Amino acid sequence: MSTREQNERIELLQGTLDLLILRTLQRGPMHGHAIAKAIEFRSDEVLQVEQGSLYPALHRLIKRRWISAEDGTSENNRRAKFYALTSKGKRQLTVETGKWDKLARAISQILGPGEQEGA
Amino acid sequence: MTKRKRMLADLERDIREHLEMETQDNIDRGMSKGDARHAALLKFGNVTRVKEQIWEVWSVVWLEQLLQDVRFGIRTLLRSPGLTVAAMMAIALGIGINVGIFSVLNGLALRLLPVPRAQELVSVNQVLHFQGRGDRQIHNGENWFSYSEYQDYRDHNHVFTGLVAYEPYIEANLRDTDVRQVLGTAASCNYFDVLIEHPSQGRGFVDSDCASRGANAVVVVSDDLWRGKFASDPSLVGKKIVLNQTAYTVIGIARPGFTGTEPIPSAFWAPLTMQQALEPGVDRLSEDNMSWLALLGRTRPGVTMEEVRADLGVIAGRIDQSHAGPRRTTSLAIHAGTFFSSPEERSFLIPVASVVLGAFALVLLIACANVANLLLARASVRHKEIALRLSMGAGRWRLVRQLLTESLLLSLAGGTLGSVIAFWSFVRIMQLVTSHLPHDFPPLAVNVAPNLHVLAYALALSLFTGIAFGLVPALRTSRLELNSAMKGDGTQFGTAKRSGRFLLGTLVGSQVAVCMVLLLAAGLLLRGLYSAQTIDPGFEMKGVATIFLNLEKQGYDPAHATLFRQRFRERIKGLPGVIEVAEAECAPLSHDFSGSEFAVSGRPETVPIEYNHVTPDYFSLLGIPIVRGRDFTPTETHAAPRVIVTESTARRLWPGQDPLGKAVREISGREYTVIGVAKDAQVAHLGQLDANYLYFPAGTEDDSRSYVLVRYATGFTEVAKSIREAGQSIDPGVSIDATRLEDYLEVWRAPSRIVAALSGALGGLALLLCSIGVYGMVSYSVSRSVRDIGIRMALGADGAKVMRHVVWQAMRPVLIGATIGAALCAAVSGVLSSMMFGLGTHDPIAFIGMPVFLLAVALAATLIPGRRAMRVDPIVALRCE
Repeated sequence: MSTREQNERIELLQGTLDLLILRTLQRGPMHGHAIAKAIEFRSDEVLQVEQGSLYPALHRLIKRRWISAEDGTSENNRRAKFYALTSKGKRQLTVETGKWDKLARAISQILGPGEQEGA
Repeated sequence: MTKRKRMLADLERDIREHLEMETQDNIDRGMSKGDARHAALLKFGNVTRVKEQIWEVWSVVWLEQLLQDVRFGIRTLLRSPGLTVAAMMAIALGIGINVGIFSVLNGLALRLLPVPRAQELVSVNQVLHFQGRGDRQIHNGENWFSYSEYQDYRDHNHVFTGLVAYEPYIEANLRDTDVRQVLGTAASCNYFDVLIEHPSQGRGFVDSDCASRGANAVVVVSDDLWRGKFASDPSLVGKKIVLNQTAYTVIGIARPGFTGTEPIPSAFWAPLTMQQALEPGVDRLSEDNMSWLALLGRTRPGVTMEEVRADLGVIAGRIDQSHAGPRRTTSLAIHAGTFFSSPEERSFLIPVASVVLGAFALVLLIACANVANLLLARASVRHKEIALRLSMGAGRWRLVRQLLTESLLLSLAGGTLGSVIAFWSFVRIMQLVTSHLPHDFPPLAVNVAPNLHVLAYALALSLFTGIAFGLVPALRTSRLELNSAMKGDGTQFGTAKRSGRFLLGTLVGSQVAVCMVLLLAAGLLLRGLYSAQTIDPGFEMKGVATIFLNLEKQGYDPAHATLFRQRFRERIKGLPGVIEVAEAECAPLSHDFSGSEFAVSGRPETVPIEYNHVTPDYFSLLGIPIVRGRDFTPTETHAAPRVIVTESTARRLWPGQDPLGKAVREISGREYTVIGVAKDAQVAHLGQLDANYLYFPAGTEDDSRSYVLVRYATGFTEVAKSIREAGQSIDPGVSIDATRLEDYLEVWRAPSRIVAALSGALGGLALLLCSIGVYGMVSYSVSRSVRDIGIRMALGADGAKVMRHVVWQAMRPVLIGATIGAALCAAVSGVLSSMMFGLGTHDPIAFIGMPVFLLAVALAATLIPGRRAMRVDPIVALRCE
């Protein structure tokens, strides 16, 4: 890992990690390590997930019954917990995505080219 | 395993697996083993912190916050020990007396009977309604059953494993070396088996004991009787004892502590079939229309109260159908078996209990108001702390919760302390009360020890108290103006201060109002007691002894009774120190009354009048003058158609006419001629001077049951002893018990004395709490307005003026509260006066004296802290803030 690469990585906003996990699990049940890898990979390694912080988020989602956990075996024959979306979690994903879209639109409008010219 | 537990248990493994996967990935990318592991750890972040965060996710927030609040609350309370102790004492006092009085009521009415598996026992009672005139005979309990009804219920129900019937309170003379009266029970022969009360020695009854009437003279004696009367004779079982002239074989001695199923302990149990031998001359077993048997059933396992009602209801309906005479409907009252479970007893106990509990709850309310005041005063000191919390983002609800936790801690601690003291002291208080009852009151088998009911009541009361005194201060404290509070100008002039003062005033005012109600009630009761003590009953009761002769119950037949009575009177007349002897059917104020309907010439309707049968010496012995006409002559007996009326009776029946020679007629048609008029005297009911009353000459008909009155000149003890000896020289088996006539007066006074003492103590307690409240309010407001006072004084007000201001501020809510309290009490005093003898509804002395007393105490409580305001040095006051 080079220094340049590290500088380009962005810390996650609070609460967005939940959304990312839910979105990732939409493709099917995964274990923790796979979720971390998927988020990194799909964001072209821009989003830096401190892998440890994934776990409190997973537990929080389980407690809210948005995802469930089940024991299983990983691709290289290790025992691991597989996390899956519940129906409640699927509904929540729609809600959260909508919210995020709204927020993103609002922020990009403010940061849009017109504003920058004025500054 | 819960989800929470499973997730936390697998946590270590999940993290380890994750790290190994990442390490493997790194190795696959070509890192060395050591580097790969290091990089994986780096990427994962702080393992310990991750674990902590996960624990946080799963922690139960409210519980942890509660623990936090409790810890913080304890620290806060300990930081101001003076206030904490004061508040705790007030609560302990309030809750303690409430729990104490509840434990007494619990022992009387809620506690199950003291027998094994008492929760299965139900008490069966009936209320009979007759169409038109009912003619039911009642002995002991109007809700009880006849023998044939009992047999019907016993043999045809499907809900009980056994149904017992018993007749309690049978007076019996136990003859041994001397004669003693004891109270016993006639019980069905399944009594001990159904109650699971196997005697500690010998046996209980078996069915054959009840096989035929009057045949099986066996008896089980109580442990008390065995120890007291028979000196724990180890060979008593098998011996014979004599009860009411019949010899019984002792077959068993009851378990220690088993005193029967009525509040007054039973000394012996005999088979129900022996009833006629126990009560000679009365055959209750054959009388189908008499209520005399109490019923207790033990339910089969799993049978509900509803099923019992339904099943017995069918039997009741069938009995009603076959009942001869006026149409009868029975409604059954079925309750858990307690000492007071018949409708008759409940209808008496429930209003009395609610008045008592209400009065005690009022004292608790005063205590609550006091503690609320204390907390409000402290809240002002904590303004800064609260403001800091609010400004750092604490929610209001969260703050209220924390403050309520504190007050609940206080109330629970106070409640525990109070309950412990109550449990310990009320057993002794009960002993004190019972030892002050008149001597012929039987002891009560009431267990005041705490049980689940009492503990639940204590807990509920503590929680209620905590919320009652904590809520208002908590809501108020958490509603702060941050700016002024943070700036620390504790003066809070303006609106906040005025609303605070209003709140304090309301609290103190309601305290005073409640206190006033209690004090006025106590005052009325004390006045009632005073009038009861000083009342002139209209006859001379000093130096008179009475002997109650109930020869029928002692096993005499009428002929023997007449003989005994004549010889007894002759013997007494000859005794040294005896001046006069008379006899009457009812002794004055003995709670023995006879009354009937009488027809009077010239009046269409009959008049209910109480009457007495007396010998000629009755009037002179009691010092009741005959104001017109003449006394009876010794030869005039019951057969003579003569009657003496009282002045009031004469005035009412024949207004403006000469009563002599007028006639009164019994319902039977028998006519009596008035031969004299006696002065009014309160011989039947204390407090009723002018009731209608008739005196008939005494005759042989009432010989089995009468009072002998003896006027004596020497000491009572010697006379009583020689009277007893005189009786026993005629018949060694007779029980003669002489009492002072004055003692009858005690029986009338005892209820008002006990209630007056109780309410006096309560009123005093309320006054103490209330004056602490007033004192607290004034000293708080003085300390809060030191600057205010300083300015006034700097502007030229003198001490007296400041003092007047302070006192007026404090006395305003007191006056308002006192007025409301007095009005309330005036409204409810009618209830009190109907319950107690000799009570005036609006007794002026009580209604003026008590408010003046209360206001004087309140004024004193104001003046002490008020003096501090007078001594305020304006310079110090202005500088200190």
